[in-house]
Amino acid sequence: MPKMRKWTAIVLAATLVGALLAGCAQKEQKEQQQEKAASNAPIVMTFYSEDPSPNWAGMEDEVGRVITEKTGIKLKAEFAVGDAQQKSALIASSGTFPDLISAKGSINKMVDAGGMRDLTDLIEEHGPNIKKLFGKEMKRLRYSLDDPSIYVIPTYSAVDNVPFKAEGGFELQHRVVKELGYPTIRTVKDFENAIKAYLEKHPTDENGNPNIGLSLIADDWRMYISVTNPAFYTTGGPDDGETNIDIDTQKVTYHYRRPAEKEYFRWLNHMNAEGLLDKESFVQKSDQYKAKIASGRVLGLIDQQWGYDDGEKAIKKEGKFEHGYGHYPVTLTEETKDTSYWPTGFMAGYGVGISVDNPDPVAAIKFLDFLCSEEGQVLVNWGVEGKHYVVEDGKRIIPEDVINRKVNDAAKFQQESGIGTYINMGGRYGHGVKDSTGNYYTTEFPEQIIAEYNEVEKETLAAYGVSTWIELFPKPEEFPVRPWGAAWNIPVPSDSEVSILQEKLKNITWKRIPQIILAAPSEFDKLWDEYMAELEKAGVERMEQGFEKFVKDRVKLWND
Amino acid sequence: MNAVTAKQRNNLKQGRSSQFWRGVMRNKYLYLMSLPFVIWTFVFHYLPLWGWTMAFQRYRPNRPFWEQEWVGLDHFMTLFSDDMFYLVLRNTLAMSFMGLIAGFTIPILFAIMVNEIRGMVFKRFAQTVSYLPHFVSWVVVAGIISKMLSTDNGAVNELLMWLGIIKEPVQFMAKGEWFWGIVTAADVWKETGWNAIIYLAAISGIGPELYEAAKVDGASRLRQIWHITLPGIRTTIIILLIMSIGHLISIGFEKQFLLGNNLVSDYSQVLDLYALNYGISMGRFSFGTAINMFNSIVSLFLLFTANGIFKRLTKESIM
Amino acid sequence: MRASSADRIFDTVVYSIVILVTVVTLYPFLNVLALSLNDSTDSVRGGISIFPRQLTWQNYEIIFSYPSLLTGFKISVLRTLVGTLLGLASASMLAYTLSRPDFQGRRFVSIFLAMTMYVSGGMVPIYILIRDLGMMNSFAVYVLPGLVSAFNVFVIRSFIDGLPYALQESAKLDGANDFTIFWQVILPLSKPALATIALFLAVGQWNSWFDTYLYNGSNETLTTLQFELMKVLQSTDSGNGDYRSTNMTQVSPESVKMAITIVVTVPILVVYPFLQRYFVKGMTLGAVKT
Repeated sequence: MPKMRKWTAIVLAATLVGALLAGCAQKEQKEQQQEKAASNAPIVMTFYSEDPSPNWAGMEDEVGRVITEKTGIKLKAEFAVGDAQQKSALIASSGTFPDLISAKGSINKMVDAGGMRDLTDLIEEHGPNIKKLFGKEMKRLRYSLDDPSIYVIPTYSAVDNVPFKAEGGFELQHRVVKELGYPTIRTVKDFENAIKAYLEKHPTDENGNPNIGLSLIADDWRMYISVTNPAFYTTGGPDDGETNIDIDTQKVTYHYRRPAEKEYFRWLNHMNAEGLLDKESFVQKSDQYKAKIASGRVLGLIDQQWGYDDGEKAIKKEGKFEHGYGHYPVTLTEETKDTSYWPTGFMAGYGVGISVDNPDPVAAIKFLDFLCSEEGQVLVNWGVEGKHYVVEDGKRIIPEDVINRKVNDAAKFQQESGIGTYINMGGRYGHGVKDSTGNYYTTEFPEQIIAEYNEVEKETLAAYGVSTWIELFPKPEEFPVRPWGAAWNIPVPSDSEVSILQEKLKNITWKRIPQIILAAPSEFDKLWDEYMAELEKAGVERMEQGFEKFVKDRVKLWND
Repeated sequence: MNAVTAKQRNNLKQGRSSQFWRGVMRNKYLYLMSLPFVIWTFVFHYLPLWGWTMAFQRYRPNRPFWEQEWVGLDHFMTLFSDDMFYLVLRNTLAMSFMGLIAGFTIPILFAIMVNEIRGMVFKRFAQTVSYLPHFVSWVVVAGIISKMLSTDNGAVNELLMWLGIIKEPVQFMAKGEWFWGIVTAADVWKETGWNAIIYLAAISGIGPELYEAAKVDGASRLRQIWHITLPGIRTTIIILLIMSIGHLISIGFEKQFLLGNNLVSDYSQVLDLYALNYGISMGRFSFGTAINMFNSIVSLFLLFTANGIFKRLTKESIM
Repeated sequence: MRASSADRIFDTVVYSIVILVTVVTLYPFLNVLALSLNDSTDSVRGGISIFPRQLTWQNYEIIFSYPSLLTGFKISVLRTLVGTLLGLASASMLAYTLSRPDFQGRRFVSIFLAMTMYVSGGMVPIYILIRDLGMMNSFAVYVLPGLVSAFNVFVIRSFIDGLPYALQESAKLDGANDFTIFWQVILPLSKPALATIALFLAVGQWNSWFDTYLYNGSNETLTTLQFELMKVLQSTDSGNGDYRSTNMTQVSPESVKMAITIVVTVPILVVYPFLQRYFVKGMTLGAVKT
């Protein structure tokens, strides 16, 4: 009994002390804040973002300090952990808003709740750099036809972006194309033949494990990337989310209903029937997929670089560069062009806005303006002169040791320097845009990219007569401009029938497409017709018509 | 004990209002020990229930309560006329039912077995290790299971082929009919150790003199378990059973989501996932709240039914 | 003591099953440990079971390089202590009052509590309530809203019900009031139940991060360990398919995720034996009662 009393007393005492300390710490913090406000210290503004940023260092990093010095603002930021949509929904419904908000898809919740300030006048009076950056695209910053206010400075889409790095298309291992003498890989048939030929000669790897022709990944939303999006990329349709929109009439079609795409899935079905498709494609999880790639046994992929990069890095680390992948602009037939780089034009929508609770909107807009300025852009991308880059003969160069740290000590480097942390906090210029000194704004440009290729990659590229993968792909200039930008960016009100139908159709498609691909070829037509009928019964035409209205509204908003 | 309480109950039954107040004063400490917490519960659990009104409105976050648009039972009608709803309901109930049976019998058996281990070191070690999977996230566990059941050198297939039971690897993860079993088995693996803790605690409360007496009477270990251990933890088992029956309809969705894939989606989608996809993720607060209400009402129904049945059959109950 | 053959068979069966279970449940944890000590690029290749292939401490170094981890640790420890104590106090007091058959409010309170397990107003009303009570940006939000747990109450009550009522009666005859009976008679005898609930409460407090995210998201002094680790765990796996506007190259390596699991679990394993001895007992320990 006394023993228990003693222990109880100790624990209770410790807890009380602890609770007191926690309370004291809070009080101290409040006092510090009040002190800061009194002196000439920077204004502290709260910032809420739907993106994660694990290397955020309280704006104490090198870039952050310079920004605070120049703008007088220090950010107390909060980033997403897990699914941010729930928290955004709560903030919207609570009616109390952080000072600056970067709410990607949830912006409509914030606007609906009346939390966002209209920035039009602020930009007019205090945002010269913002005006310069967005210039001709200012129309696209407007929210909607009913409400042409400007609520966000777009920070995700980059102005005048020129893609330099090929991330998509179809992928083939270098050793496959090498052994076959670097044949043209232009159509799905070429792709198939290359895989087939190589598999016949090399059915297993050196350990006796079977080589796999093509492996797909269908784990949750990766289904879009590896299985369904390629259906339109290969048949002349641009990425307009789950729809295909006629460029002249804006008629909307759920893209799987296009006859050309039926043939694409027929090809996948054929690949499966020939034993060239990985049987685990629809069952495997991401880490199994990457492990397979890391084992070097997968000859072909249909994916984006970031989807299999971990696996490729692992096999490259073992020195097996010939097991790495090249990107090829494969289409269904010779008549169509790969549409991976069909431009969207500038995509406003996601970005940073100033809330109605912000104590000093003028300072806030000036802050955002600074980030859009030339000085701000170079700072945010390259870092601090002398520390993170040097200027030699007017050219900006990143020293070896800095590059080394960026690659091998990435987390710590970002925490200390802040490079990469502020990119989505302000508007930005894209790759390929040069500043007034003739240097690129960003650190991604052709010379840099080529410097990162290994020998085998360079060999393959040379055999195809190009120096970077993207040169194999049709260029953005070859495609007509879509007046609506891209359909996946058009906001649909949450309780509209269109969203509900889209979700229903997705469920049907995600169930049917794998089934169709894995079926016997003789069953293909019957199953496809059943799939089409199921879509119609679920209301696909209502979705198409409903969405068409939103597309037309967007065309008006961005072009009038 | 029964005699005592019967007498006290008699006293109460003769109560008039003065009796009542005298009773309150007699039990003043009891009231002091419980009233604050009851108020607490009211504030944090019952007050927020005003949110249920959202299910009958077309909720818009910016407008105050009295400016919301009322749509009556529309959301419920939408819910009940959706074929998908019945599918996910079926899946949910099937898996919870299987989970209930497995999640009860196995931890109890395991707790009893651990209790029978004599060596203290091994006993404590085994018990500690057994709950470790509880702390490993479902993401990792689902990955392990996926690998084990795969046709590409998966352990299970290799074993079955080696034993000659099958000739070719079976793609377990692609078979919808197997899904419910796989999920249940995965849950058993992950949670048995942790779930057994309560039963172990209950068993340790049984007086050793009962076992001594039984041993003297020559009872075998098995008999001791049947006649002493099990009855000794009867109350705990029934209480937990009643509470679990109430939870039958809201089992979350994480493990089904992570273990499932598009080939088995007809078997793997559950109600909570449906609520997420068609509710919060789409910003449809009202619809999400309607599903939440549906869940709660069904749960309460199950709770009261289970409680009533057990009260009648076993005299044990929660309420 | 004759060990009959039935008993020997029994023992063999029990021991074999328990050993099997031990091995099978140890595996995932050892696997996670091995991956956490393995080079992250090499981990992608798969095929690691319980031994690392390329030993490295790098994953742990990355985790510990985040300075806010220490604050998170302190706050997590604090909230675990405070939350567990408060939760135990509330659950045991309620359990005791509900175990008394002469307590008039017994039926009402039981039902009142039981329903809370299945009924919730949803996140929005709770968020607004917390804000209106001034608990945003506070330590209190970690321990106060969840103070009363019906589950805990009922579990402890089922234990108390198993204690002979005669004990309480004799204490009453000695002139003890209800609180004294609770404190001096009931509590000491309920150690297994209290230890179990303490364990559940402690683990619950230790592992929470969502409340930190919702209510203390930008408050560096009140951050918790799990929350800090979740921030590091930025994983595109949990995305909602917003791949067009997310920087997809910033995924934290598998091995770091495994290291996070270990970092969170080890403290629990360290503290656990102190609670375990209350409910995993030998068969020959002295009588629990009187």
